[in-house]
Amino acid sequence: MDARVQQLRQMILKKAHDQYRVNIERSAKEYATLNLSDVERACRRLCAMLEAETPVVFPEERICYTRTVKNLFPLYTDEEWEVRSKPFVWGVGNICPDYATTIGMGLNAQRERCAQKLKTADEKQREFLSCLIRDIDAVLDLARRYREEALRVGNQIVADTLTRVPAQGARTFLEALQFFRILHFTLWCEGENHNGIGRFDQYMYPYWKRDIENGVLTEEEAFSLLEEFFLTFNRDNDLYPGVQKGDNGQSMMLGGVDRDGKPAFNELSSLCLRASRELLLIDPKINIRVDKNTPASVFYEGTLLTKQGLGFPQYSNDDVVIPGLVKLGYSLEDARDYTVAACWEFIIPQYGMEIPNIDAFSFPDAVDECVKMLDSFDSYEAFLEALKARMQIQCDRLVEHANTMTLLPAPFVSMMMDDCVERGEDISAGARYNNYGLHGVGLSAAVDAVESIRLHVFEKRDVSPQEMMDAVETDFAGRPELLHLLRYETPKFGDGDPEVDEIASLLAGRFADCLEGKKNNRGGIYRAGTGSAMYYLWYGDHSRATPGGHRKGEPWGANYAPELSVRSKGPLSVIQSFTAPDLMRIINGGPLTMEFHDSVFRDEESIWKVARLVQAFVLRGGHQMQLNSVNREVLLDAQKHPENYQNLIVRVWGWSAYFVQLDKTYQDHVIARQEFQV
Amino acid sequence: MQGTIFDIKEFTVHDGPGIRSTIFLKGCPLRCIWCHNPEGLSSAPQLMITQNGCTGCGLCRKPCDHPRCQGLGRCAFRCPQGLVKIAGERVEAKDLADRMLRQREFFESSGGGVTISGGEPLFQPAFLMELLERLAPLHRLIETSGYAPEEVFRQAAERCEHVFLDIKHPDDAVHRRVTGVSNKQILKNLSYLKQSGLPYTIRIPLIPGINDDPAVIRQIAGLLKGERGALQRVEFMPYNPFAPAKYEMTGMPFAYKKPRDNDLDSLPLEEFHALGIQTKVL
Repeated sequence: MDARVQQLRQMILKKAHDQYRVNIERSAKEYATLNLSDVERACRRLCAMLEAETPVVFPEERICYTRTVKNLFPLYTDEEWEVRSKPFVWGVGNICPDYATTIGMGLNAQRERCAQKLKTADEKQREFLSCLIRDIDAVLDLARRYREEALRVGNQIVADTLTRVPAQGARTFLEALQFFRILHFTLWCEGENHNGIGRFDQYMYPYWKRDIENGVLTEEEAFSLLEEFFLTFNRDNDLYPGVQKGDNGQSMMLGGVDRDGKPAFNELSSLCLRASRELLLIDPKINIRVDKNTPASVFYEGTLLTKQGLGFPQYSNDDVVIPGLVKLGYSLEDARDYTVAACWEFIIPQYGMEIPNIDAFSFPDAVDECVKMLDSFDSYEAFLEALKARMQIQCDRLVEHANTMTLLPAPFVSMMMDDCVERGEDISAGARYNNYGLHGVGLSAAVDAVESIRLHVFEKRDVSPQEMMDAVETDFAGRPELLHLLRYETPKFGDGDPEVDEIASLLAGRFADCLEGKKNNRGGIYRAGTGSAMYYLWYGDHSRATPGGHRKGEPWGANYAPELSVRSKGPLSVIQSFTAPDLMRIINGGPLTMEFHDSVFRDEESIWKVARLVQAFVLRGGHQMQLNSVNREVLLDAQKHPENYQNLIVRVWGWSAYFVQLDKTYQDHVIARQEFQV
Repeated sequence: MQGTIFDIKEFTVHDGPGIRSTIFLKGCPLRCIWCHNPEGLSSAPQLMITQNGCTGCGLCRKPCDHPRCQGLGRCAFRCPQGLVKIAGERVEAKDLADRMLRQREFFESSGGGVTISGGEPLFQPAFLMELLERLAPLHRLIETSGYAPEEVFRQAAERCEHVFLDIKHPDDAVHRRVTGVSNKQILKNLSYLKQSGLPYTIRIPLIPGINDDPAVIRQIAGLLKGERGALQRVEFMPYNPFAPAKYEMTGMPFAYKKPRDNDLDSLPLEEFHALGIQTKVL
């Protein structure tokens, strides 16, 4: 990190840009009075947002754009929203636009495309295209004002960059980075959330390479720009909405294979890992795609980043994800181009208008329905059949609800999606892939419960069905020995016990079966996943106790991980268990998450060992993995003295956040996770 | 045959090369005053009670008829928080080896294997030998105090791919005082390792005020002069500040009082380097 980047980083840590921010009250009354269409409102709002922005250019910076308007203006009046939001409305977001094409051609050329198309457009197409043209003009106008401001404060480099972009295509690495910043900034202003960065090391590589080869930049200068670019993701991220601060979906994907299947990890991928390692900030959230042929050095570089305690990188295994997506109907080339949405959901840049987090399936709820009638089964097989039926009922219900969803239009991001301009149609009308994904929450708790029932109720018969039902109903009141037996002495998912793992395979596979053949209301299908998002708390809260010894109201494990109360045998057993199910079938996304005490990463040899452990997970057919370096003592102290830990970062579920900014329930969950010690 | 273990830890990063699991055998003839695994000392099962989280409900104090709890004074199968545990489990060498072998992919893909530690692994020789033989497909390593008859030491070492030998103090009188036993047997076994051709590592626990003085470390370096066979390196293990916690859990007295922290900067590593010996501070 050079002195300039250090200074810019300090500005962010001190929130020096905060002083330029204002709240501007706007109402949607005018839109209502004029009875404007959805797309017209989206356009007017973006134009108004950009117009309300006041350019701020700092003397040290090369990549500008800082949000000065804190709030997002409303699209509808409250009364209108009452009606419009029924039954179920979703905003475009959690997707990965094609930034590269626009960065390469420039907005003038994009505008011209729209103008050409407009000549032959029908009425509906005309509305969309003219909205997009007005959006582009608003973006160009803000860029013009930014250029003037740069000149006014004497920042010639910024002024020069803005002379070229975004009107024309980028020629250099700096122009491309600034162009990206403008596009990304605009998406947030349009109201999209969780705007993924995608395969940055692929689409930016040519600019980086050309500048290095042509001597436009030295490697150090290019790296300095890259680090500054990374900082830009942290400038406004406190304004981005999410379930908690930090949940903002600024996910970057590195490595993997290209559309032809050739290895794609390059020098820029490495530099991104290094930049993240040095900057120690929550954004961008780093992902690495790996496979059985990935060199050990990539795992090693990834582990160096894990050591920093940011909760990333997250690894995705191409050997499982790509064939898994192909089985779901994605073309091989598109599948090879996958990235992740906000957290870990696998999506296709540019071609996917997918909603991979539309709802969440609860494994423990399905089991609980059957526990309520446990005394009616005469065999374990009969119990399983009933469970399968309950799973189907729950899936049917979730699908029925999800199929009432409608999307709000988003013309500007449509410019960067699929062939929206060619079609003259907003992205909300659809893209090549329009699939929905359901998280699969609490798999471990459900597996543990089923194993308890199998072993104690049906095999050993040392717990009667009635006793089990009563214990669950009363949260084990007056039954400490039964609780102990079920919670601590009965095999768990994560113990590397093949019999228990078999149950996990069964339930995971059944989840996929339940969604097979289901069509959504946008022409897509349903994908089953292993993620939890925030549902590990939301669903855990109202849950009864389980036959696995899970207490009433305890949260489920986050994502794809053993239950919090499990006395783990260790990371090898966990990996053994969690690679047992056929993960290709439940490929919506959701990583095995493991916490390691920070002392594990103390020396070079140990870092290599962690790297080998991740590689072993990949070789065994794991789909996705996230490792955290944590120290429980530090976290406990941070709860007591938040003022001393303003920059302490933890992984929450699919994203990293500042620990002290999280609600206590989220903090407590992080603290309660199994921490593997040296 | 059966032996007694008190723990199995997976992915022990400081117990040898590659990805490893470590099996801890229970029972040790030494009584090092700083020992950080007090539950490894006695061969008999014993209670380990985590105090943090105890609500004082008293359930564990009520009589029970679990065979494993008899004689311990508490019931280990009732605590709603799972805080009462028994350290010490009788296991068949075959079952233990099978469990390790099920994870062989991890070990093989990373150049790792299984480490057998303790307690003192050589304190259960017949069980250890059977276990090592059953683990033959894997990279095997024992971590030992070296306090065992030469024949036992040699037989075990020959069944391993690598030996970790602790040297705690070069002076016999001090050694007796701080570990309860003489170091003569240990040094004899060191001599065996030197001429055996087996890869081995010398490990030195750095105990403040006991052996972390540069002069003592220099004397240890002196023991490694001359022909030393396949010595891989010398590893220094700084004092484990969490040692007292386990004494609380086992209800055992902890007599050692740390007078100061380790001064790692004053370690005379150059003494070893001058002999051509690599060092590593863990």
